[in-house]
Amino acid sequence: MTGLLAQASGGIRWSWITANLDDIWEATVEHLWLTGIAMVVGFAIAMVLSVAAIRYRRLYGPITATAGVIFTIPSFALFFVLAPFTGLTVLTAEIGLVLYTLLVLVRNTVAGLDGVPEDVKEAARGMGYTRNRLFLEIELPLAIPVIIAGLRIATVTTVGLVTITALITFGGLGRFIIDGLQQNLFVPKLVVGALGPTLLALALDGLLLLLQRAITPWSRRAAAL
Amino acid sequence: MDAVVDMLRWLLEPGTWTGPRGVLARSVEHLWISLVPLVAAMAVAIPAGVLSGHYRRGQAVGALVTNVGRAVPSLALLVFGLLLSVRVLGLGFSFWPIVFALFFLALQPLFTNSYTAVREAEPALVEAARGQGLSEREVLLEVELPVASPVIMTAVRITAVQVVATAPLGALAAGGGLGRFIIDGFGQNDDGQMLGGVVLVAVFALLVEWSVTRLERRVIPRPLQGRTDASAVAAAGRAA
Amino acid sequence: MIELDRATKVFPGTAAPAVDALTLDVPAGEIVVLVGPSGCGKTTTLKMINRIVEPTGGTIRVDGVDVRRQEPHVLRRNIGYVIQQVGLFPHRTIARNIATVPRLLGWDADRTTARVDELMVTMGLDPDMGARYPSELSGGQRQRVGVARALAADPPVLLMDEPFGAVDPIVRGRLQGELLDLQARLRKTIVFVTHDIDEALRLGDRIAILNVGGRLEQYATPEEILREPATPFVEEFLGGERGLRRLALRTVGDLGDLGIGNCVQADATVEEAKRRAAESGERWIGILDGDRLRGWAWVSDLDGSRHAGDVDTTLFRVALSVDATLREAIDGLVRSRVGVAVVLGEDQRYEGMVTLDRLAQAIVS
Repeated sequence: MTGLLAQASGGIRWSWITANLDDIWEATVEHLWLTGIAMVVGFAIAMVLSVAAIRYRRLYGPITATAGVIFTIPSFALFFVLAPFTGLTVLTAEIGLVLYTLLVLVRNTVAGLDGVPEDVKEAARGMGYTRNRLFLEIELPLAIPVIIAGLRIATVTTVGLVTITALITFGGLGRFIIDGLQQNLFVPKLVVGALGPTLLALALDGLLLLLQRAITPWSRRAAAL
Repeated sequence: MDAVVDMLRWLLEPGTWTGPRGVLARSVEHLWISLVPLVAAMAVAIPAGVLSGHYRRGQAVGALVTNVGRAVPSLALLVFGLLLSVRVLGLGFSFWPIVFALFFLALQPLFTNSYTAVREAEPALVEAARGQGLSEREVLLEVELPVASPVIMTAVRITAVQVVATAPLGALAAGGGLGRFIIDGFGQNDDGQMLGGVVLVAVFALLVEWSVTRLERRVIPRPLQGRTDASAVAAAGRAA
Repeated sequence: MIELDRATKVFPGTAAPAVDALTLDVPAGEIVVLVGPSGCGKTTTLKMINRIVEPTGGTIRVDGVDVRRQEPHVLRRNIGYVIQQVGLFPHRTIARNIATVPRLLGWDADRTTARVDELMVTMGLDPDMGARYPSELSGGQRQRVGVARALAADPPVLLMDEPFGAVDPIVRGRLQGELLDLQARLRKTIVFVTHDIDEALRLGDRIAILNVGGRLEQYATPEEILREPATPFVEEFLGGERGLRRLALRTVGDLGDLGIGNCVQADATVEEAKRRAAESGERWIGILDGDRLRGWAWVSDLDGSRHAGDVDTTLFRVALSVDATLREAIDGLVRSRVGVAVVLGEDQRYEGMVTLDRLAQAIVS
């Protein structure tokens, strides 16, 4: 196996990576931007939809069903479906990315809010909480772990999808993959394009986990018991 | 809306469907490049997940597989499949790169859900089974596995749809299947063909989902049917 | 204090009312227990008082004011509320949980902190506990925090919905005792829901026994309910041993002066001791040192001594406190070898003896 690997990696110009660190860095930043915009917009829309779905139960079915249908469209096909209408632009990429985040974010936010124990809500009402205070001070904080779990999945998915959007925008780390494929399997580019987003996704996932631990001290101590 | 009209025109043209590069031939290819990696991944991931769930071992490895598996973009998997097939094993382009990629794609959800499904089998049930004198092997095969089967089968269904939907990526690596229409249409600025390809892949995915649902009814013990939905599986995956 | 006037609740989509025109007065400073089988509407009744459940008919007044004339959240801030699952806020520390209503009412920080500290002491909670989260507490501790939280703003009225239903019997008994001690000091108006008739009999100043559909079968003191169940339903709900359970409602102290009993002081002469034993119809005699009870001796062993205190004594096997119930007294008599139970007051002071005859008199009266 090692023999095979040595043979396979023979003649590969790894020096390309060190010679092009600036390009790689630029693409990484771009990748982060594309991810970040999609997450922020997606999260904002998801929060509005979730609150609407909680307040007006009838909306929950249609909202999640629609989001579910979008989610079953093959990931990169979605960008191709949008391309004839909105062009080969960053906008096309972002629309697709945001649509993809919605299902996970709405489902988790609603599940998180629904998961707030009934006895806690009843006790709060019984002590004289108004509806808005109940939402902001009790329900939302208690839903945070599940909401962040959704954010983590959505972020990881989005980082991966941004790689694919390189097909239409040629932005982000995915462009190294397209380049590498077109240049007769230029391995260093392929490796950067494949490993880069993976590491990025893992890093963001870890950061969100740390964020959750920091803002929900109660759940950590409970878990430690 | 021109693109939609183009798509309908493309779909209605008889030449689209027949011949070695027609929809029918591509569908057969699509089935093969999806089925081979799916079956192989099931053969590896389900026993591994079930056994480590039963013995409650390998949580750390399981968590690693789950988290890293989710973080690797599908395009990166294709790159990995390509390098493995072309540079390491010398199997060439077209068939094997996408098969390897889809195999790796399918491992994570199948493993994670099998592991969680067995692990979370009602402890009282398992204890009762042991108490009746069932051996470890019997506990696993006659109690834990049937009880876990709804979750595992749902994972199979979701994974199958995911594999079928990701298979078009193979066209980027000179692969066959329905993805050809999407990539070729894109490359040739032929929106009709490209959109047509997307629709065909979506229909294919729906057919696969329907078939696996039929299969579920034969595999899952009747009283346990209809107790699991996709959200439960997603939740199980998240929890792990 | 709390008046229910034909209070009615019909849940949407059901034909039969959950509570049907229930009329009930809860006097200030008393514990009224609503008790009955599941489906009797006891919890619904309780929740109508703070409008967690909106009444569909009749009126409910708290302190003379119709509850429907106030904003629900304003009404609720003046009514303490304790539920079975406690419903502590898992994301907030114990201290912050107890401070909930004072903060809602806009108390300043100093006053709130002082009140929280005071309540932690009142409820016997370790001050260190204030910084912990609810998940780090035992069931009994959580329930105490729940009561402390309900008392935080010193509301005159407390609603308790099966508050001790989820803890084990030993802790439940202790919490019941603590509630009675607390009530002796605070004199709140408490409405308490339970399905456990023994809990109702122990805690209630009055008990309302409800039947399915919120029909009031009897509303009376525990003693009255046990003595004269108003309906066959009440009789059945009370279960067996009604007589014995009535004894559980009265204490040895309620028997009044017990007299000195079959005892003499240690410096009494042997003749005196023999005479006292003969009067009591016993073959033994108790020996006292002032207000302390030394023990007992057989009359036959006294011969040859001058004073009753000169012989060796045996300790009494059974001693009751003045607070012991008559039911416990009977139990003591059954276990006692000589057919009497010694009664000891504060600092083990001798208060007298209970005999079966004395108990029988009390039971019949």
